[in-house]
Amino acid sequence: MLTRKRRRLGAKIAVFTGLCLGAAFAGLPVVWMLSTSFKPNGEVFAVPPKLFTKNFSFDAYTAILSDGAQLRFFLNSYVVALSVTALTLLVAILAAYGFSRYEFPLKKSINAVIISVQAVPPITLVIPYFGLVVTLGLYNTYPGLILTHMVFTLPYAIIMMTAYFNTLPKELDESVKVDGASSWTALWRVLVPVSVPGMVAVGVYTFMISWNEYLFALTLTRTDDMRTVPIGIQLLMGQHSYEWNQMMAMSILGSIPVLILFLLFQRRFIGGLTSGAVKA
Amino acid sequence: MNSAKLDHAPPAPPAPVAVVAPQTRAAPPGRARRFLAKSGAPFGYLSPTMILIFVLMIIPIVMVISYSFKDNVIVQQNSVFVGFANYTTVLTDPDFLAALKNTFVFITVSTVAHLVLGLGFALMLNTSLLSGWTKAIFRIIYILPWLFTVAVIAVIWRLMLDPSGVVNYLLTTLGGMQEGVNWLSDPGKALWALTFINIWAGFPFFMISILAGLQGISGDLYEAASVDGAGPVRQFWNVTIPQLRPVLISMAVLDLIWTSQQFALIWMTTGGGPLNVTEMLSTYTYKQAFSSYEFATASAAAVIVLLLTMVLAFFYVRLQKER
Amino acid sequence: MTRRRQLLGVMAVAALLGTAAVGCGGSDDGASADGSVTLEFAQWWAPELPAGSFDKLMTEFTAQNPNIKVKLLSGPYASTKQQLVSGAASKTLPDVVGLDGAWVNDFAKQGAIADLSALMTDANYDQNQLASQIQIQGTTYMIPVVNFVYPLFVNNDLLSKAGVTTPPSTRTEFLDAAKKVTALGGNVKGWALPLDTAVPNGIQNDVMSWLWASGGTMLTKDGKPDLTSAQVKSTIEYVKSLNDADVIAPGSLTMKEQDKVEKFTTGQVGMVIDSLAHINLIKKNNPSLNFTVLPLPAEDSYTGKRGIPYASWGIGVADSSEHKAEAFKLVEFLMSKEKNAELSTLANGFPGNKTAEPDFSNSDPLFKTAFDIYQAGYPANEFVGLPKSEDLMRSFDEQLQLTLTGKQSADHTLSKAQEDWASVL
Repeated sequence: MLTRKRRRLGAKIAVFTGLCLGAAFAGLPVVWMLSTSFKPNGEVFAVPPKLFTKNFSFDAYTAILSDGAQLRFFLNSYVVALSVTALTLLVAILAAYGFSRYEFPLKKSINAVIISVQAVPPITLVIPYFGLVVTLGLYNTYPGLILTHMVFTLPYAIIMMTAYFNTLPKELDESVKVDGASSWTALWRVLVPVSVPGMVAVGVYTFMISWNEYLFALTLTRTDDMRTVPIGIQLLMGQHSYEWNQMMAMSILGSIPVLILFLLFQRRFIGGLTSGAVKA
Repeated sequence: MNSAKLDHAPPAPPAPVAVVAPQTRAAPPGRARRFLAKSGAPFGYLSPTMILIFVLMIIPIVMVISYSFKDNVIVQQNSVFVGFANYTTVLTDPDFLAALKNTFVFITVSTVAHLVLGLGFALMLNTSLLSGWTKAIFRIIYILPWLFTVAVIAVIWRLMLDPSGVVNYLLTTLGGMQEGVNWLSDPGKALWALTFINIWAGFPFFMISILAGLQGISGDLYEAASVDGAGPVRQFWNVTIPQLRPVLISMAVLDLIWTSQQFALIWMTTGGGPLNVTEMLSTYTYKQAFSSYEFATASAAAVIVLLLTMVLAFFYVRLQKER
Repeated sequence: MTRRRQLLGVMAVAALLGTAAVGCGGSDDGASADGSVTLEFAQWWAPELPAGSFDKLMTEFTAQNPNIKVKLLSGPYASTKQQLVSGAASKTLPDVVGLDGAWVNDFAKQGAIADLSALMTDANYDQNQLASQIQIQGTTYMIPVVNFVYPLFVNNDLLSKAGVTTPPSTRTEFLDAAKKVTALGGNVKGWALPLDTAVPNGIQNDVMSWLWASGGTMLTKDGKPDLTSAQVKSTIEYVKSLNDADVIAPGSLTMKEQDKVEKFTTGQVGMVIDSLAHINLIKKNNPSLNFTVLPLPAEDSYTGKRGIPYASWGIGVADSSEHKAEAFKLVEFLMSKEKNAELSTLANGFPGNKTAEPDFSNSDPLFKTAFDIYQAGYPANEFVGLPKSEDLMRSFDEQLQLTLTGKQSADHTLSKAQEDWASVL
């Protein structure tokens, strides 16, 4: 009995140590980022490197937060990422419902196309894509960016939502339909309310992708009033110098919404992935 | 199981019930009409997706493919059809072949490491030995790398891996190394340093998905195994791994695809150098287009990359269907 | 009933996406109802000037030309370039564009930028006041607005600490000084050489500058590559000797221009070749740094005039612009004697208008020193106007890296680079 307890303690210590090592791997660069954001630029390469500087200041943060142009980047990122999340969810739910509840001609092929769209390397599309977006009059607009991000978030969202709907018994929506309701009603009144964890998982995933997307956000915008946070961060990396502290401050600020999202929804997020992706 | 379908709710009823309702309401069931009734609704549901993907994905892909068979596209007004000439150029370019090899190393090592780290961390985070709070805190630390945009990831690692940066400082003062290492500019180390950065940046999503998978494994299975006298190691191999197999495989394929698309990280850390040791298919294509203005060869390279990733996508589709 | 609602719902979503895709269409030609014109001006200059000063210049322009408004599209150099490449490809360049000499040839060939010679004739513009014009086959496509020279920056404190009393003026003296600075130990090295291949400008600013400083050229008279000449070879061998003496800051194979400036600013390297435009930046980031600028060292026996590398903020007009005449008005404004001088002073550069006189009184004394260096030598940058110049720099860079890492001889590097260049030029 005693040895068993001792073994359990040993295992506990081992797991805890392992977790700490992992946390160091994951967290130390972020700690350094945080530390840099409080330093004056000249001290970034000080020898020996210091985690806490004597000249500790929030200057970089005030610089970002008091600059209208920088705040505009945040606003743009919110508009784009939230719209992408909402629209992706809407469109993915519809598509997933089609895939999960119907048999129809070409189903397999359409499904395959949607899945393989994920495999298209974005970089290869930049040139024709740019021309297309200009032709559609979407260059340097929110819709241009939103629709583009959706193309990249939709496939995975559809896969996850379809998998999630597949875990829900068909009898659920059939029972409503027997009462004379349409499939549309069945979807929104019955299926969607019980799919919240799956939607949260898809939503968080989509928001993160859109919030952090870089290549198209750079290519498809040209004025500062349309640019998003990742581009704003890159703008601080001028041709001639790095504004280290501001860059770090801005990325810390930029990561906060995503962090809050995760904190709020982590249970449901993981739960949604469990019943969605896992049982796909 | 070749009539595999995504819709797989155990023993599916012979005729999908969903169709019954519209059919009974429909007037004289003509052939076309029945087809519409049968497929109108699902196509309706799929139409937004299909329109979006057709306009913003299929059209550009077709454009890239057509560029790849022409010469002097974009740069000059009248480009001519040149058949497979661009493909020959690309496939015989030693830089392209090097990029192919580097990409292969980069994506396989990244994916394997993501798998191992993700699984390891997820198992630890799923332990019953620690309290929920402790695990929650660790969970948040572990997803931190996922919160940052790639521009920042590139910058913070460049800062830390600078020859006079903090990593070298720690290694020389604490680690007893004689002199600092040029992590990103030593041709022998750059690819590994870059892969390491990518591992750091990408493991959280893997970990979370595996964690979700672990939480989906029924406790009964473990109980049954321990009744049979299986220790933790045997339980891991006989219960955990088989149960996680579908998640692991589909995450691995997705990761291979996603990693092969990595561009900004490479561009902003090493730019493909030193000595091209970190040149990837994505940076190769970018240089062809934006620096050599060879949009035709860039397109040919793009199509080749597309075909290669399609192979991966094919496996992914197969996997999705098998389940 | 419900079925119809379902269809409606789906169609609404489809329509939403559809309108989003088409609705925002309609071309915006920049002309508004009151007859005024809005010009779009894409450049990377505004972020490099004191905050708000470029906007102020544009306001003055509108005051002079009430029916022309200017909308600035500002971004850093690298992203401006990528956007202009994409814009040129799809014929949607902004009306007025900031240009680097290295891009002109390609944009001109793509038909993306307009023939300025014709615009100058139309506007009866006096071309004699221009210090230079960038021409492709006799036609002007870019006018340099402000020129920045690249002298040698030296950290006085480090050099005197290392016992270097006379500023290095020859290659031998430079190597010697670099060795002494490196001998100080710590993280300090004599020189920094940014060879990152993502933006391979280092070949122009930090490598070929050695060649030009000794009066050498990398091209033959008719514009063909001449990389196997004795002078180019001695340049490469010199850079290699610096490398072998271990006086170059580590990490040079993936070092970017920003890193070079950073290392000089923080006192990690004693000497760099850098743009004069960086004086303010270096002072801002490290006010206590004691540094000066010198002419680039030349070959020991060289006595002629020294070429000094330069870069320009050039200006051009989009060929697709519907307001070329108005766009040229803006060019004229920026090139006018008074405004050109003002802009040059703000930017710490030298004016593109010969008659403009930058005001040295309020600027850094180093600026005056540099102006003297500039006048004693001649501006040299053979990459300006070359086709695919970035690609040329990159292929040279890749070969040079092989030499520096001891994987191939200097001769082999040059003959390989010669071959690469010959296929383009």
